[in-house]
Amino acid sequence: MLLFRSEEHIHHWRQAWNQPEGAVFSLRQAWGLARAWYNEDRRQPDWRRKTKDEAQALFTELGLTSAFWQL
Amino acid sequence: MTDSADQNTITDIRVRSAVYDSFISRGAAISRAEAADRLSLSARQVAAAYQRLAEAHMLVLQPGSGEVLMANPFSAVPTAFRVSSGERAWWGNCIWDALGILVMTNRDGTVETACPDCGEGLTLRVAGGELESAPVVVQFTVPAAHWWDDIVFT
Repeated sequence: MLLFRSEEHIHHWRQAWNQPEGAVFSLRQAWGLARAWYNEDRRQPDWRRKTKDEAQALFTELGLTSAFWQL
Repeated sequence: MTDSADQNTITDIRVRSAVYDSFISRGAAISRAEAADRLSLSARQVAAAYQRLAEAHMLVLQPGSGEVLMANPFSAVPTAFRVSSGERAWWGNCIWDALGILVMTNRDGTVETACPDCGEGLTLRVAGGELESAPVVVQFTVPAAHWWDDIVFT
């Protein structure tokens, strides 16, 4: 997951490096992802990875609903 | 679950905890030798725990050495995503992970990277637990269903 100056820069980079389209989204959504994904202390014995359903629900809650985000 | 499986689970939890504690508190990965010493385990037990944790997608190991490469959101090696907070600094695996480091450590700080197209330095700031807005956009190449096909590339 990369950070670009603008969508125009993404487009230029994709063309220069023959990269697939992928998904473009806002910094706000990325922050939401980071907060929801990493808000637990993984040193704790009872921590576990999110299930597929939990992850999918999280993406949906953040408005990440395109085919790209389907697990 | 058998006694052996129970013991493996307990060992894996202790090892995972030590790996994350090292990143969080020291800003660096713990080596297998250090983990064995700290947890009073044999080298073989640590290696086996690392392998089980890697198979469970909780760690990514370096080819060859078997040392930790990634314990998401932390990278054990330098990347394009530098996270700084006070006296502490880390490397994130991507922008999501870099932001995640500040979330997991519950710290304010900065994330520094560069636009892959033009090379311009880009800095994000978290203050008071909130990310300040910035004129940037985020791009993700690999669809979610394929993230673990090649997690290093992802």
